[in-house]
Amino acid sequence: MRVILKTKPRAKPRIPIEAEEIIPQNFLRKNDIKIFEGNKERSLDDLFFVTREGPAVSPDQVEVILTGDTGVIKRVGEYMNAGRIIIEGDIGMHCGNFMSAGEILIRGNADAWLGREMRGGRISCEGNAGHYCAAGYRGEKRGMRGGTVEVKGNAGDFCAEYLSGGEVIVHGNCGDMPGVEMRGGTLVIGGDCLRPCGNMTGGTCMVFGQARQFLPTFRRNGSQEAEYAGKRYRMNVFRGDVANRGKGTLMVRG
Amino acid sequence: MTPGLLIKNAFVIDPLSGVKGEIMDIAISNGRIVDEAPRDAEVIDAAGCLTLPGGIDSHSHVCGTKVNFGRYMSPEDMRAGRTARKGVMHVTSGYSVPTTFGNSYRYSTMGYTTVLEGAMAPLEARHTHEEFTATPHQDMLANTLFDGNWSIMEAVREKDVKRAAAIVAWTLAAVRGFAIKLTNPGGTEAWGWGEDVHSIQDLVPHFEVTPAEIIGTMIRANEMLNLPHSVHLHCNNLGVPGNFRTTLDTIDLVPDLNKERQSLYLTHVQFHSYGGSTWRDICSRSEDIARAVNGKPQVVMDMGQIMFGRTTTMTADGPMEFKLFMLHHNKWSNHDVELETGSGIIPVYYGRKSLVNCVMWSIGLELALLAKNPWQCLLSTDSPNGAPFVKYPEIIALLMSQRLRESERKMIDPRTEHFVPLFAIERELDWYEIAVMTRAAQAKALGITRIGKGYLAPGAEADVAIYPISPDQVDPSVDYQQVMAAFSRSRFTIKRGRVVARDGEVIVEGANSTIWSKAHVPPEYDMGTDPEFTKKFEQYYTVRMRNYPVQDVYLPRGLRIDTEASL
Repeated sequence: MRVILKTKPRAKPRIPIEAEEIIPQNFLRKNDIKIFEGNKERSLDDLFFVTREGPAVSPDQVEVILTGDTGVIKRVGEYMNAGRIIIEGDIGMHCGNFMSAGEILIRGNADAWLGREMRGGRISCEGNAGHYCAAGYRGEKRGMRGGTVEVKGNAGDFCAEYLSGGEVIVHGNCGDMPGVEMRGGTLVIGGDCLRPCGNMTGGTCMVFGQARQFLPTFRRNGSQEAEYAGKRYRMNVFRGDVANRGKGTLMVRG
Repeated sequence: MTPGLLIKNAFVIDPLSGVKGEIMDIAISNGRIVDEAPRDAEVIDAAGCLTLPGGIDSHSHVCGTKVNFGRYMSPEDMRAGRTARKGVMHVTSGYSVPTTFGNSYRYSTMGYTTVLEGAMAPLEARHTHEEFTATPHQDMLANTLFDGNWSIMEAVREKDVKRAAAIVAWTLAAVRGFAIKLTNPGGTEAWGWGEDVHSIQDLVPHFEVTPAEIIGTMIRANEMLNLPHSVHLHCNNLGVPGNFRTTLDTIDLVPDLNKERQSLYLTHVQFHSYGGSTWRDICSRSEDIARAVNGKPQVVMDMGQIMFGRTTTMTADGPMEFKLFMLHHNKWSNHDVELETGSGIIPVYYGRKSLVNCVMWSIGLELALLAKNPWQCLLSTDSPNGAPFVKYPEIIALLMSQRLRESERKMIDPRTEHFVPLFAIERELDWYEIAVMTRAAQAKALGITRIGKGYLAPGAEADVAIYPISPDQVDPSVDYQQVMAAFSRSRFTIKRGRVVARDGEVIVEGANSTIWSKAHVPPEYDMGTDPEFTKKFEQYYTVRMRNYPVQDVYLPRGLRIDTEASL
């Protein structure tokens, strides 16, 4: 089944929409999907032109397509566990929170907290991602635990904070402190970044651009080759963060 | 306010009045239990419902600076247990350290009407009292910390019990505290100097007193002041393998000074009943502790049961929390309260896969099952240190059903049974014993029967909990699920003659009172004019003495218990 959701014009288009119920499994089982516009509860039809095409017997066969002014919609795909969501434009904060399986494809940019505390599945973002991409939420010591987040553009600050499993790939640049408090999983940064991996205790981070303001608490541990985008690079390998008894691996292109 | 209330056909267990399960009516007028209800009284049919005096928690951490710091440092905890605004109920959030209203509503729907805050630093009393007023459905009492109080320790060194008593009297009245709490006496202060005490005979650095002397002096001072409650003690060496010896030594210290109640209240004894010497060979010594308590009626303890899951530990025992931090390397906070005490907070997770946690879990239950007299072992989790108080119904079910304990046994670490005697104990507590352990014994131990708490005879305060379960028809050892469900959701909770919660929902704005004690001392023992004592404020404290006492505006409904000191 394919569900196409096109945003309706709104009198106040800047009021954010909280749409944690837009997940594929809900279109199979649930008839009254509720969405908040500001502090008002709305039904799906109030805010979207809804088109449903074809049948589906399991959530895996559901594909949700969001088009229109989607940049103010938050929490799309929260707790998603199957199916596919395609967002034709930008998406708001907290897209793919806690998702455990399925796929989200974002053709535009994503706002902050993309794929926070994700457990599995796949998120691809063709534009840029905001701050705290694939991070843990406030206070949580284990952030993303599984799955894959791939960002074609740049990511903001604190990318993959508290990463403890899964894979995060940013093809562009990262902001300040990517991989801070990392304890597992893999973070790949295709471009430049600032102060990577502070306080990391485990996992692997690879930086194929420049790592500026490199932290002094990493110990040099030889070099090795790594592959990125079909090319092989010589990488300087560091262990750390020694300030926190860390056993993580940080590789920076030599 | 309703003119009156008549609870009809209730199955009543009221241990303090000697009612062990009778069908009777309870009449309420003007917030008190009376012989006959007013003619236009509202009638509640409690047929088939277990009816008990309102629950009393004699040791819980729900208000005050350290609880609030637990909230600050655990934003992830605030994501759990969210409830929306509904009727008179405020929004609540949090699981192990909920908002004040969250605490109040959850206690109320479990039938609890009185809660004692386990540790209030005197200097930070205002914060505690402000949070008390925002915990509207329970009458609140505050145990006041004296464990590292410099003036007290100097009086102990001079062996001047009367001076210690006078300091206690002044401080309790100044901060509107209820009773004396000693947390790791001497240890927190020693830790402030970078050291620690490891037994009750170790000297506290710079003060040259031992924890044993502090405890002994404070017990005598407490009785001189005729305070309602006894000294409330959190023993030294909490959570250290092999600490049962310290606990036994402490129990040996206790004199028999009071005819009506215990002379020493030992809190969360589970954390103080460990054998072995390291975390690898930790084992249960609950049998030794229970034997000592059984032979010493002057002592009352509470369980301090832990339950598996996530929670936050918070105590005035700074050194212990620092050791836990070294173990977990997670977020942590330690705090020193000038001249008085300290505190520490860390989040923890008790897991069924951890042998140490399984042993701890067993010890709490063993203490309750091995203590012969239910009046000497009260039900508590030291909320939230062992588990949030919402786990009480589960503990009640575990104590009442060996079958439930056996089914738990299959889920915990299989090595546990080699370290604990729990699974050899066949005892199952009955309804009467549960009623004692959750309200009557608390009221007696805290000495608040004098203001009408903990019983249902005429003259008592009309705090009643009506649970949707019929003891005639339910066999708790088999239907433990029903026991848990009933105790987690009272049909009616009545506070001071008013139905405050019904079927798990709070239906009125509360108006609690704060109970505090004032011991009247002769003028020569008034510390407010004592040169030595006032010098402490001038020299060391960051506040002036006249700004130190808590003003009445912080206690909109204060209830003072006056005592006459025999100094």
